[in-house]
Amino acid sequence: MKSRASIVLALSAVVVAVVFVWYGQRPTIPAQATWDEVLIEAEVGGYRIITTEELADRYRKDSSAQLLVDTRQEWEYRTGHMESALNFPMEPTWWSRWRKAGDLEDLLGSDKERYLVFY
Amino acid sequence: MAVSLGYKNVYRDPYGFPKWQDKGLPINSAPAGLTASLEAAASVPSAQSLQGWAMLWTLLGIFAGGLALNLTPCVYPMIPITVSFFGGRAAQEKPNQLKLVAHGLCYLMGLALTNSILGVVAALTGGLMGAILQSPLVLTIIAVVLVLFATSLFGLWELRLPGSLNQMAAKSYTGYFGSLFMGLTLGVVAAPCIGPFVLGLLTWVASMGDPWLGFLIFFILSLGMGLPLFVLAIFSGQLQRMPQAGGWMIWVRKLMGWVLVGMAVYFIRPIIPGAMKVIMPIGVALAAGLHLGWIDKNQASFKLFPWLKAIVGTVCLVFAAIWITAWIIRGPGVEWHTYSEKILQEAIVQNKVVIIDFYAEWCTPCREFEEIVFHDPDIVSLAEAGFILVKVDVTQGGNPLHEQLLKKYDIKGVPTIVFLDTLGIERLDLRLVDFLPPKQFLVHMGRVQKPL
Repeated sequence: MKSRASIVLALSAVVVAVVFVWYGQRPTIPAQATWDEVLIEAEVGGYRIITTEELADRYRKDSSAQLLVDTRQEWEYRTGHMESALNFPMEPTWWSRWRKAGDLEDLLGSDKERYLVFY
Repeated sequence: MAVSLGYKNVYRDPYGFPKWQDKGLPINSAPAGLTASLEAAASVPSAQSLQGWAMLWTLLGIFAGGLALNLTPCVYPMIPITVSFFGGRAAQEKPNQLKLVAHGLCYLMGLALTNSILGVVAALTGGLMGAILQSPLVLTIIAVVLVLFATSLFGLWELRLPGSLNQMAAKSYTGYFGSLFMGLTLGVVAAPCIGPFVLGLLTWVASMGDPWLGFLIFFILSLGMGLPLFVLAIFSGQLQRMPQAGGWMIWVRKLMGWVLVGMAVYFIRPIIPGAMKVIMPIGVALAAGLHLGWIDKNQASFKLFPWLKAIVGTVCLVFAAIWITAWIIRGPGVEWHTYSEKILQEAIVQNKVVIIDFYAEWCTPCREFEEIVFHDPDIVSLAEAGFILVKVDVTQGGNPLHEQLLKKYDIKGVPTIVFLDTLGIERLDLRLVDFLPPKQFLVHMGRVQKPL
């Protein structure tokens, strides 16, 4: 009879949901990304990493040799940002990336060789 | 992302601004006036009297809003009543399209007239109306009415006009009064139900303080809301003669009934204490799933029906299971409110402390606060007694209210947790900008409760 099949279906769906929720909601403390993870992420994303020290050196030599882009939100930028940095608020979602691609190109300019630092 | 646009020299500084600042490297801050334009745009449209085209556009917008109200379950109880009322009428008399339309219009008018009372009362009493609609007594009444109608949809009793009125209407007004009266009575159900959905509109009407305008706005709103019912009324004659209107129709009524019960629970959730808050919705979901999926034995002539039932039942059970698991694993958390001036006012009236949590998804300490501190049993019970917790989620930029708050409280980053004492004044000395373990957080909560 069909009702038996439907009961099996329902129970398995419930079990799947429970496992899913349990896995997702375990009380874990979100981990701070380690340095290695940052490096891997950079490799996947095709960009390089610069440390604060290196950036500071470059900056002292010539403060206009690189374009600094502050990707935090506007209110964070307003309360304080690296000197000469431009603000380009990015939320870490694909939607925001897709929506803002054109604007970013306008901001960065047409020189594809330009030295860009995001933070 | 810049890489995909073809730029070659792309770098990222993972330490970012905080370390740059710590090392004393040159920084700037933009003038605070940068968002002035944003705030100007966000300011509430002044409550002046509307005239000419502006009036027309506003009313059209409100009409569209009324149509959208059909997405809320408030109209559910009216659907079967409308169908049976007009269907029965069509069966008695010879269906005359013109007459039917006239009846439908009467019905619609009645409905709109009752709903308009909301607008008039709002305009006359000012902001009171919104407060009344959220008072425990009114919420309970709404919930009881919803459950009553749900039981009717379950088929426990039949909703009918009192016989005497029905007779009178049939005798002296050839039924038009009957239709109007039907609309008037049903409006009594709809008006309190849509109230919470149109709080914003009520506040707006209240701020203008013109009863005539309040009446007009809510009249137009209910015309929009009633339009689908009007169409339903006209075609309900045909609907009754539709084939297959057997078991599945009864099942759909039960489904609507459960949605109403669910909404009743949603309404009274803010006023029920402690664990019942969690248990009640779970219970409803469980009962609804079992009833709709398996206990109900209605059958239909089309083959997919048993599967439809099983799927609806399963979805309800899955929701219940998700709630139960989440609840068991995490324990109950504190209850969050969204920011509003009203809630701050209430806190002062109730002599409660307000904690405002500026939060973002990507911020680790914010999540630690949420996962550990705001799920700590001691903190949850203390918070329930004397605190109102407000969360401001700044994960997504561009919310004018949030921009305003960030400026008002001079927030420099997340997490920031702001404590307002029982007089509504911030205790700057207690402000938190980094994670604090539950024990110390409790100390903070204790200190803010005692006046300086």
